[in-house]
Amino acid sequence: MSNGTSKKTDLNRRTALKGIGAGALLATGAMPGSLGFAQAQSSAPIRIGFQKHATGIGAAYGRWYDATTQAAVKRINDMGGINGRPVEIVVEDDGTDPKRGAEVLEKFANQHKVDVAFGTLFSHVVIGSAPRAGELKLPYFVVSEGHHVASGMLNRYTLQPGITDVKSQVQSMAPFVANNLGKKVTMIFPDFAFGHDHRDFFSAAIEAQGGEVVAKIAVPPAETSFTRYFPQIPRDTDVVYHVMVGPAVLTFVKELGEFFGPSRPEIFGFIDSLEAVDIQSPGLEFLEGTYFWEGNPRHAQENNSEFDTAYRAAVGVDARGASLDDPKDVSTYAHMFGCWETLNVIKAGMETADYQGPQDRAKLIGAVEAMTDLPHSLDHPQGAKLFNGKTHQVFGAQFISKVTDGTLKVEHTASIEDGMYEDEVDYTAQSF
Amino acid sequence: MPTQVLAHPAEQALVLLLPTELYTFGGTLAVLASIILISIVPGQGLGRIYRGFRIAKGFDIGVAPHLTSLVSTILFFALLYVGIHGPNDPQSNLLPQVIWTGWWVGLFVLQAVIGDFWRWINPWSGLCWLLFNGDAPLLRYPARLGAWPAFGIFMLFQIFLLADIAPSDPDRLATLAFLYWLFTFAGMALFGPAIWTQNVECFSVLFRLITSLRPVHCGKDVRIGMPGWASFELAPLDMARALFCLSILVSGSFDGLRETFWWLGQIGINPLEFPGRSAVVWSSTIGLILANIIVICIYAACVQGGIFIARRFGTLTPAPFAPAFRTYAITILPIALGYHFAHYFVSFLIQIQYLAATLGDPLARGWNLFGLGGLRVTTGFLNSTETVKPILLMNVAAVVISHIISIAMTHHLSGRIAKTRRDLILIQLFLSILMILYTIFGLWLLSTPRGA
Repeated sequence: MSNGTSKKTDLNRRTALKGIGAGALLATGAMPGSLGFAQAQSSAPIRIGFQKHATGIGAAYGRWYDATTQAAVKRINDMGGINGRPVEIVVEDDGTDPKRGAEVLEKFANQHKVDVAFGTLFSHVVIGSAPRAGELKLPYFVVSEGHHVASGMLNRYTLQPGITDVKSQVQSMAPFVANNLGKKVTMIFPDFAFGHDHRDFFSAAIEAQGGEVVAKIAVPPAETSFTRYFPQIPRDTDVVYHVMVGPAVLTFVKELGEFFGPSRPEIFGFIDSLEAVDIQSPGLEFLEGTYFWEGNPRHAQENNSEFDTAYRAAVGVDARGASLDDPKDVSTYAHMFGCWETLNVIKAGMETADYQGPQDRAKLIGAVEAMTDLPHSLDHPQGAKLFNGKTHQVFGAQFISKVTDGTLKVEHTASIEDGMYEDEVDYTAQSF
Repeated sequence: MPTQVLAHPAEQALVLLLPTELYTFGGTLAVLASIILISIVPGQGLGRIYRGFRIAKGFDIGVAPHLTSLVSTILFFALLYVGIHGPNDPQSNLLPQVIWTGWWVGLFVLQAVIGDFWRWINPWSGLCWLLFNGDAPLLRYPARLGAWPAFGIFMLFQIFLLADIAPSDPDRLATLAFLYWLFTFAGMALFGPAIWTQNVECFSVLFRLITSLRPVHCGKDVRIGMPGWASFELAPLDMARALFCLSILVSGSFDGLRETFWWLGQIGINPLEFPGRSAVVWSSTIGLILANIIVICIYAACVQGGIFIARRFGTLTPAPFAPAFRTYAITILPIALGYHFAHYFVSFLIQIQYLAATLGDPLARGWNLFGLGGLRVTTGFLNSTETVKPILLMNVAAVVISHIISIAMTHHLSGRIAKTRRDLILIQLFLSILMILYTIFGLWLLSTPRGA
């Protein structure tokens, strides 16, 4: 199999052909429906529909989610597949669009006859697709880090077992920020739901640590120059917490650096701003000495785990989180591990449930809901996890890295407990 | 291509760190300077550079284009097969790769710069030659329709390109491509291939217009000249083709505009939270149509305004508006080409890799044709200032140079209407101002943040 940064793998491309072939057979009545499937079930592949952001605003992520997915499936198949059956990935492009996302789930269920659907990142696509997954009774494993799963907004068929949610991420930053960077925090965030979530989650979390948010500076989303907002930063600020996103994010950090000069407060941000950006690129020197949340450390650390090393090799990523073929082709390393880990959860769930076919979908969900500890292993190379079956959300370690000589060095690893919060839903109380 | 990796976050962020105001200022100055310089030249003074210089004797290509077209027809149907039975992921399916990257983006530019490839590879002319060679058409094409059907179909194509929620979906694209092929073939069978190609088949109309720009043309002789020298033979165009020229430019420009923070603000969408193409189907459709109407009206007003002041303050004898408009319209083509290049260049650099990789295994059988099976797509060149800057500067150059070519063509054509130097400057005055404003707009488009 080629490195996942390439086009679809052979397996994957063949799968697509078979999918349509099967659809054509069904249409002509040549395939005797469930009877045919039942007869073939012992050797028929497990089909996983991959809702990929191949086009649209998520395409940069989609490419790496694809690479990670292909690598994870290759490993699973090399180990004998799931319940002795090979795994096939059926890719459909959702265009990073919620309406298209829902259409794709329908194609998965009705045309491609997949066993489960998987892979979506962007929140609005998850939110647009999940109701359809519920109607189709199709298990839908998302890799989106949105809080919408654990908030109770979705349904019993939607699970997020491979990546932590943003509420947990933000909350777990507070102890390190308060104890190491300073108690007085100024938050600068884009003035819409995404920024408001950060504002609300972090304000509560830092107060619980004895710190306080001394200023909340909301920046209109369309803003591309920020200098005029900086005088609002109180003089006694210890830490600037920023969650700017979009094309102007580097401009923001640069202008912040220029505004403060050498005597700046500590600066803390989320790596989302810099996913797929080479931080040693000329012009980004102003990032030196600033801190970032990382979902998974992009740069291999001195004490790197054997699991992360093996995972990098499998996905085709070097020690700096870039493609083995092109050191400038930086991956979306902080997020894409979620695809790898989710597929391993699907595998474990299907094995526990002795999954044979779509009739066992509810059993599969029950088996995943029953999971708790997911130990640090090659199945979970980012670290140990704790799955909450009631909220369908996984919890795990978070990393805070400091840019040191152009490298992201992990300064602190937040524990699973740092990111835990009260349950907001019990999906297990919902019927199938 | 229409929905592909246009919104690469790193490239966008790095562009915003570059001194783009300086590029816009410099580019606009270059256009202004060229207007002043060219205005000094007498009306027909550019005639020398706008004459094709004979470099070789022409040669008879005989039926060769028909034969290659036949091959192309077979390949076209093979592509449709791959579209329907191949992978669902448009990044792995040869049909959307060939149509959007190879044909719409790549062929468009080659057609304008190198040669009339469409004549050789369109999937109809060979088949028509084989089936109805020399036969009288069954029906007579209504002459009063002229090339308006081509203009209308081109607008529908642009709406599909800009506003459809999944124009790269292989199934959908294969269905539409087949229906268009069938419609065109039926039209050619009923009305005759030549008349249908000239008036209804919009891509033949488009490519015939755009290929007139290329420096080298082969007829009785092989001749070379300044880009656009052969376009003058087409002017004045008929009104449908004149509007077609403007529409190529406007549609390309609007495709860029609708991704900007500015446009998203106009339609009430948070640019940091683009909701997907399904949310902007109607705004894109209406915007495209309005943009066409607005720019056509402005262009017409500039032409009419020039005539007016050249009569009022100069010595121009009464000159009717319509022929002037139809004459000047051809000068829009270089800008349309420049914008097409600049708009698609970044995504082309990515998508051409996908196309090559998919060519290595077109039927998804694990093949490694041409040694391309192992090709690995990279977008690393968009993650670093070192490469993002030259890419941006190339796009700036494309926009600026295309405007300068257009200005020179406008000046040359003005010589057909105005004879004195004063009239010559006056008649182009508003068109020149429009050129400067459009340059600023084009350079702004290259550097303004995009959210879609």
